Amino acid sequence: MRSAFRRMDLFTKVCSTWLAIIAILAVVGPFLPLPDPREADFAAPGVKPFSPGHLLGTDSNGYDLLSNVVNGTRVSLMISLVSVLVGGLIGSSIGIISAYVRGRFDGIVSTLFNIILSIPNLVLGLSLVAVLATSPDPSIPVSSNRRIFVIMLSLTFVIIPILGRIARGATLAWVNREFVVAARSMGMRDKDIIFKHIVPNVLPAIYSVGFLAIGVVIVAEGSLSLLGVGVVDGVSWGAMIARVAGEFTYLPHSMYVPVTVLALSVIACNQVGDHLRSRLDLREGKI
Amino acid sequence: MKRLGALGSVLRQLGQAVVVVIGSTLFLSLLLRLLPVGLAEIYAGGFDEASRAARLKELRLDKDPVTFYLLWLRDFVAGDFGPIVSPGGGTTPVADKVGSALPISLQLMFYVQVVALVVSVPLGIYTAYRSGKRSDKAISYGLFTASSIPNFVFGLLLAVFFGVTLAWLPPLGYVSPGENLVEHFRTMILPVASLAIPLIATYTRLLRADVIATLREDYVTMAVSKGLSNKRILFSHVLRPSSVTLFTSFALNMGALMGGTLVIEQLFTIPGLGSEIGIAIFSRQFFALQSYVAILAVGFVLFNTLADIAVGFVDPRTRERRRA
Repeated sequence: MRSAFRRMDLFTKVCSTWLAIIAILAVVGPFLPLPDPREADFAAPGVKPFSPGHLLGTDSNGYDLLSNVVNGTRVSLMISLVSVLVGGLIGSSIGIISAYVRGRFDGIVSTLFNIILSIPNLVLGLSLVAVLATSPDPSIPVSSNRRIFVIMLSLTFVIIPILGRIARGATLAWVNREFVVAARSMGMRDKDIIFKHIVPNVLPAIYSVGFLAIGVVIVAEGSLSLLGVGVVDGVSWGAMIARVAGEFTYLPHSMYVPVTVLALSVIACNQVGDHLRSRLDLREGKI
Repeated sequence: MKRLGALGSVLRQLGQAVVVVIGSTLFLSLLLRLLPVGLAEIYAGGFDEASRAARLKELRLDKDPVTFYLLWLRDFVAGDFGPIVSPGGGTTPVADKVGSALPISLQLMFYVQVVALVVSVPLGIYTAYRSGKRSDKAISYGLFTASSIPNFVFGLLLAVFFGVTLAWLPPLGYVSPGENLVEHFRTMILPVASLAIPLIATYTRLLRADVIATLREDYVTMAVSKGLSNKRILFSHVLRPSSVTLFTSFALNMGALMGGTLVIEQLFTIPGLGSEIGIAIFSRQFFALQSYVAILAVGFVLFNTLADIAVGFVDPRTRERRRA
């Protein structure tokens, strides 16, 4: 772990440190001495940064920006981690198995991946959330917890074919190597070959693309919010951006805060993913 | 024989495209059946028994999902994208909305791709030519960072800076070119810039890598020893063989650009397909949503297939490799 950190260049070190800070804030956020993110300070709406009691100022409703951005980390990071972990696990299992067994199963899996990938990422996520988060009664909006769940589910679905195709491609490159053929000819069981010989070799490729995918999902969460189907009245970066997008003409600082944090996190994810990829020199790992 | 081989590979690619298009539209059609509330409830909620049956028959909701899809597909191919049903019971065809919104979105994407190519081709060649020097490092690092910044962040920042703080350009809105050509370009600058910057970063990186590889070829050394000027070598000997990856990426990025266009249209209140999709979601027009998304998917598949075929003709080596 330590030697891995030492081998990074300065920019990558800064980026991974930033990601670590974000991850810590996501966990300890609620225990920090900050105002309640959902409680409006009516005495101080739209105050500038470095005002008393509001280090980064407030938006036009009086919501504390620092508290919202710190507490929003939890939801935004949870959505991206869960969808990339679950989607990556499902996708790469399917990809590895289909490349290992080949034949008709592989043909069907590849076609299904191609079909899902033919719908642009964001458009697919948008349609899934729009359909699944429709409330039976138009006058009662869907609760924010249910929305978070639906967004996670939809983005997981978006991630499955992306990582699945990477895993399939990487497996195809290993499956005919001598040591795999040797293991098979010695009568090793398929399950053991996959876990002992294929998975350890394919895993690095999946990690590095996984980091890029986390960035993609963070952006997707923000975009969905701007399109009006995100975590509408909850606490997340996307929700913050959607709320302040209408008031940037007169309160630009309330927009700078979430936008900067989000952009820095995506840059950091991409840099760390790119660093891993350049160490592995994988050309197919492009999202 | 070789000609026939090329034709065969084109036909096979077209066949795959048809399979993918049918698969994705079927998927979208079946997705509507996953609504937590039935389509019948949405489209004929407050109706009495008799008019409800008539309405369901009219919208084909009395059919099973597969028949429904097949009829939808027949209409879709014929250019009938389904109805938008108002609560009162009147219907307007989705095709009308598509007719007014799609050209605006296409126009936006066209501007973005043109601007991205015009900026990134010279930039890619320059950074490759100066590879390893300080100016290359500065531009490459800057572009890498720019490529990871989401387009809506650029959109918001540009709108605040140029639209509000400096007040040089209108921060929102859309003016059609027929109405006022100068205003049209003024309103398009900010949305086009916010979509083009990440693309410029991607294209420049790809072109830089390919140009560096091409510069190592023997025929470049040959051209240098003949005494040709650097400019001539770069633009007439190096650019063309180096542009295949760029060309493929151009098509692949259409998908990301479509998604980006939706968000940017919403942000800058441009009445394109993105805004129509937003309206369809809010007013629960799921038939319209299905058709809009299907149009995007079909367009994306079409672009990729055309790019595949075109690359095969430009560089026959890739065609052989793909077959292997």
